[in-house]
Amino acid sequence: MKKKLLSVILTAALAASMTAVGVCATEPDTQAEKNFKVLSIWSDESVDGQILIGMLDKYSEVNPNFTYEYEYVAASDLSTKIATLVSSDDLPDLFAYVAGTPLKNLINADKVVNISEELESLGLSDQITDGAKSIMTSLSGTDDLYDLPFGMNVEGFWYNKALFEEAGAEVPTTWDELLEVCDVFMEKGIQPLATGGADKWPTTRLINAYAYRTMGADATRQAANGEISFTDEGFVAAAQMVADMVEKGYFGEGATTVDNTTAENMLLAGECAMVYDGSWFTSSITADTNPAGEDGIGFMGVPVVDESISPSTEYPMNCGNILCLSKSKYDGATAGFLQYFVENIGDYAMGDYQSVRGYTYTVSDDALSPITKEIVDTITTATGSTAWWEAYLNDETKSAAQDNVQTLINGDMTAEEYMDSIQEAYDLSR
Amino acid sequence: MKKVLGSKKAIALFVVPGLILYVGIVFVPVIWSFGYSLFSGTPGLDWRFTGLKNYQKLFLDSRFKTALIVNLKYILYTMLGQVVLGLGLALIFRFGLKRFKNTFRTIAFFPVILPTVAVGQLFAKIYEIQPHYGLLNSLLSNIGLQNLVQPWIGQQSTALPALSVMDIWVSMGFYAVIFYGGLLDISDDVMEAAKIDGCGFWKMFRTIIFPLLRPVTITCLVFSFAGTVKMFESATALTGGGPGNATTSLSMYMYNVAFSYGNVGYGSAIAIVIFLICVIGTRIIRVLDRE
Repeated sequence: MKKKLLSVILTAALAASMTAVGVCATEPDTQAEKNFKVLSIWSDESVDGQILIGMLDKYSEVNPNFTYEYEYVAASDLSTKIATLVSSDDLPDLFAYVAGTPLKNLINADKVVNISEELESLGLSDQITDGAKSIMTSLSGTDDLYDLPFGMNVEGFWYNKALFEEAGAEVPTTWDELLEVCDVFMEKGIQPLATGGADKWPTTRLINAYAYRTMGADATRQAANGEISFTDEGFVAAAQMVADMVEKGYFGEGATTVDNTTAENMLLAGECAMVYDGSWFTSSITADTNPAGEDGIGFMGVPVVDESISPSTEYPMNCGNILCLSKSKYDGATAGFLQYFVENIGDYAMGDYQSVRGYTYTVSDDALSPITKEIVDTITTATGSTAWWEAYLNDETKSAAQDNVQTLINGDMTAEEYMDSIQEAYDLSR
Repeated sequence: MKKVLGSKKAIALFVVPGLILYVGIVFVPVIWSFGYSLFSGTPGLDWRFTGLKNYQKLFLDSRFKTALIVNLKYILYTMLGQVVLGLGLALIFRFGLKRFKNTFRTIAFFPVILPTVAVGQLFAKIYEIQPHYGLLNSLLSNIGLQNLVQPWIGQQSTALPALSVMDIWVSMGFYAVIFYGGLLDISDDVMEAAKIDGCGFWKMFRTIIFPLLRPVTITCLVFSFAGTVKMFESATALTGGGPGNATTSLSMYMYNVAFSYGNVGYGSAIAIVIFLICVIGTRIIRVLDRE
């Protein structure tokens, strides 16, 4: 009898625990009292900061018991800050973070909320666009989303229309044409390109651009997974291409001393004809301070090398810095905010800031400036995407890739040595 | 007095508070770091005991070797520059200037009080090449030395010397003031007697001034060594450690490893190396003192 009773109790306990696993999503509580801590890399001066703070303010109106603390750190200090907070198990409720390997580490350590599960239980899975979803899940190598997009960027070359007209040059569609156009500019005494070599990432983006056009959009991910080597011919050729372009003087003198903002400003001021940059650059183009005027700058994507390997409608795309929710702090109040955030940010960002954030929106985009409209159309018509050069690399390998790109374009390192240095850092960190 | 210091209790009373403080802020962190250096990963995320593996890794890591060489070169260039030019300036203050002594001393000391970030920005502009030539390149270009126009902080060959020049400019006023104090201590009588004996300036410097300045010189060397071995903020402000790793010092590399790459254990191993360099460097300077 006793045994029977015990088995019944055990079965009941097992069933109860199984049901508990099944219902793991948290019910939103829109009246709960909470002091919500936010760690951000966007100041209230920037559009990103204004959108995030705007959403927090709006939700505070919906739930008067909801208050928030907005802490701002420089983007360069974000990883350090998060690492310290993780060590002391004190991650804020909502925080900006970096997609790719850094986020993967937090997922593996079970520190962040499974966003897909939560959105599914809220019935809001469709609020994040498929494009954003596929970019983010491929970066974190998971089926589920563990982060919220907070941007939707496409990258490519931006050009100064007046300089193209002055030189009588056509906008290039293939890489060979790009090189020809550069030569035309050189002959006219106009600097063809600028790159923010001091910031390093703008220059590695150029290698990535040539690599994905010649090796396919998946090449860097394969290398980071060990399926192919960083020392493969294709990668070496991409590094060599950029080194050659610098050697020919396309980027002017001392490309490693120019930061990205200076490179952007050079394009706007007509001091160079083209710059590789992301669509976050549109806010500088549409600003009143742009000397070239809003219509003076065009976007052309990355010129194609071989249409069969990478078609022209395939772009480097990313969701910028992403937002994560701390798992240990997640409760009904946060679920309430998550619900409100996902439901409203698409319309709020588009309606008030003409900005695409990776969420669906219902407001009309007719009011968009022509260049912003072009970018939105590019994003929606893109047939495929690739990430950036360091997206799948861990911090040590990323650092080797970025630091040595300066040495590469200075001519102090060959393309082979550059790719070897990445492979060495990759091997050493494993 | 003898009675007081004869008592062991009294000695302990004087020594123990200072000893506790010293042990607390010097010994404990060093031992703590050594303990950390036997682990790998980030505390809280993936913290594993790996024994001496981090120290083995030091020998395989080419970036560590580069940082070590950069750091040693920087110590050499900057220490020499700061101390020699500081001494030169002090000699000018003492013997070369008849008027406006205070004004010159103030001007020479001025860079010492400037914030490093501001100095970094200032020199970045001086060395600029794109989009417009900075002060140095414009000067070279205007006097017909176009072939010397170059990206001073953008290429490996000149980035570290350019950084050293900046740091020498910043601190030489400080060393000049210390040396000047030392020079004022040398009695006029001695120098006058030497002059009467027909001693020229160079001979007087070699045989009288420099030997009498030795304690001050040792102090300056120790200050300069302590300042240069920790090379961090000026390189961060001017070059960010670039191009490549041409101006990345050991402390910068340690910071990156520990905080940016989240490998606190390996970072601690590098910190222990820096600690050893400090100990060895100070020993070498002490040996000079004894001679």
